[in-house]
Amino acid sequence: MRMHKWLFALSTVCALYSTATLAADPIKIGEINPFSGPLAKYGLELSRGHELAIDEINAKGGLLGRKVEMITGDATNPQQAIATVDQLANRDKVNLFSGTYMSPVSAAASDAAQRYNLLYWETIATAQELTERGLPNFVRTGPNAASYAIEAVAAINNLIAGAYGKKPGDLKIWIEHEDLSFGTSIADTLKTLLEKEGVKPIGVSAHSFKAIDLNDTVLRIKQGNPDLLIEIGYVPDGNLLLRNLRSQGYKIPGIMYLVTGDAPETLEAVGADALEGLLVVSYPRTNLPNTFSPGGDHYLAAYRAKYKQEPAATLGMTAYAGMQMLFDAVTAANSTDPDKVRAAAAKMDKPLGSYPGGYGVKFDSNFQNTRALPVVVQWQSGVPVTVFPKEAASAGVALKNFPRR
Amino acid sequence: MENLFTILFIGLWLGGIYGLVSIGLTLIFGVIRITNFAHGEVLMVGMYGTYLAYSWLGLNPYLAVVVVVPVMFVFGVLIQRVLMQPLLDEPLMQMFASFGLLMFLQNLVLMLTRGASLGIPSSGRADNLSIAGINLSLGHVLAFVASTVIVIALHFFLRHTMMGKAIRAVTQDKRAAATMGINVNRIYRLTFGLGTAITGVASVFLTPIYTLSPSIGGDFVLAAFAVVVLGGMGSIWGAYFAGLIIGVTEAAAGFYIDPALKSAVWFLIFIIVLIVRPSGLLGTVGAEEVGLREQH
Repeated sequence: MRMHKWLFALSTVCALYSTATLAADPIKIGEINPFSGPLAKYGLELSRGHELAIDEINAKGGLLGRKVEMITGDATNPQQAIATVDQLANRDKVNLFSGTYMSPVSAAASDAAQRYNLLYWETIATAQELTERGLPNFVRTGPNAASYAIEAVAAINNLIAGAYGKKPGDLKIWIEHEDLSFGTSIADTLKTLLEKEGVKPIGVSAHSFKAIDLNDTVLRIKQGNPDLLIEIGYVPDGNLLLRNLRSQGYKIPGIMYLVTGDAPETLEAVGADALEGLLVVSYPRTNLPNTFSPGGDHYLAAYRAKYKQEPAATLGMTAYAGMQMLFDAVTAANSTDPDKVRAAAAKMDKPLGSYPGGYGVKFDSNFQNTRALPVVVQWQSGVPVTVFPKEAASAGVALKNFPRR
Repeated sequence: MENLFTILFIGLWLGGIYGLVSIGLTLIFGVIRITNFAHGEVLMVGMYGTYLAYSWLGLNPYLAVVVVVPVMFVFGVLIQRVLMQPLLDEPLMQMFASFGLLMFLQNLVLMLTRGASLGIPSSGRADNLSIAGINLSLGHVLAFVASTVIVIALHFFLRHTMMGKAIRAVTQDKRAAATMGINVNRIYRLTFGLGTAITGVASVFLTPIYTLSPSIGGDFVLAAFAVVVLGGMGSIWGAYFAGLIIGVTEAAAGFYIDPALKSAVWFLIFIIVLIVRPSGLLGTVGAEEVGLREQH
């Protein structure tokens, strides 16, 4: 009898001890990003967004009662991505993965994570095919390539055409894009969406993002004489196009850049005058009104407090919001198992304006968040100001100098 | 018609840039017989140097030439003395060494800049010219003028100065030149320095036009190698004219055919010229072999 009591006590202690260690065992997130090479700056910025969301949930007592820990893995190309996933899964025993600044890295890393049956929670990488390939461990919370085209068309219909005093169908639009899959896929989607709205672009042309000169492109555009030029490319070719437009003395009434064009380096390269009135479809900025982007101000304050500087790029807040969505999905699933998290995520239904950046959550059958849309900003006196959607614009903000004189 | 003239002028200015970037490369190849794979990175270093002269010393980016060019000359002399001279009798090793230099310079600049894109702010419309209805950027015009001045100056230097004659003697036969009392290693250092300094001039004129990144040299170097081979390896006038031909072809193809196809068009011309005239437009027959063959 006494023996039994003793055994009972011992087993209770053991049970308590094991639950205690379980509770202390953190949830480890493997963070896949380029932390070296030319894109390291953006990989780091993205991770900071994740890190701030993690700090926040830990301050609230953690996730599922466990502390959340981020373990970073450097991946600048697909091969390295696979090796890094293997290492984080085997050596560090991470519970799930998140990332990623580059789409090719995301594709390879999520594929590798699937071999370990671990969730890959993508908050940034934009390539369409990431969700379309139907990988069973993959979820994307941020905007995809098509969403830039969707937002551009919405802005043309609801804001820009009106500024010209024209119907959208009467606008002469020229689409200029860089000639790799990034620019081409967005341009194709944009063209299809515009044609659905009855807008037929007067020209679509491509250039290399490494081009040394775009004067020939400028002359072609000039011949077409569009009302609105839409450029889809990277920072260097976008800057060069603006410089060549200016050297040809050609002022297009309206220019809209997709994805890039609102960065400080563009301002530095071409100057506030050349940028005045230019529209950019881009990630939501940190200074959006709280009614549209709840917690955006908190992100900015936390960023400044932790890193003692201003955010280096706008994508950090989108990554931050994506990580918050992960925590909500994991809490609902009460697990980090990919199937359970995806099942819980599929049931999530949050309207636009629920997360920082104005994001909501509603996943389609491929687990692309359909309520993640970029916003439209306009350069006004050297400052990018959010002008569309209306709810994202601050009080008193309107299109200025548009069409450009 | 107005477009035709505009395209022609754009092509010429673009050709000026290509020529400017290629002259240093062809000089080094012609005299020292080194295919310098790090040429694009040398250009890139010069561009960052110009940016530094502008942002630290507050110099006008075009005036940076007085600082950047001498520094680049010394840089070139050092590359030849430290890296290439010890490998003088091993041309293949020199090629690998230049490739190593490429990786080193690219990653060094990447480390120093942390991947941030840098650029010199444009000063409003002040850098644009309009001549007879044709709009030009001052940067392009200066690049063309600089290219022309350099090629003429280099021509006179090589023809009419003692040092130039020594360089030509070494080019023709380094052993015979050595027996005549010419210090071949010194001529090599001087030539590498000169070629690098000319690339420095190119970098000064290109910096205000572009957004700098550590990989920017690669955007120019493919064209530069094509220009050097098209013009005839080692031929300075060849590089100048080939640059103009490629510039005009590129601008015309981009405007009249399709911007996405312009590189394809000039590489097509490049291949045709090489089939018809393997030594390039103004090259010496056999020079394309000499570069890879040990000289005896």
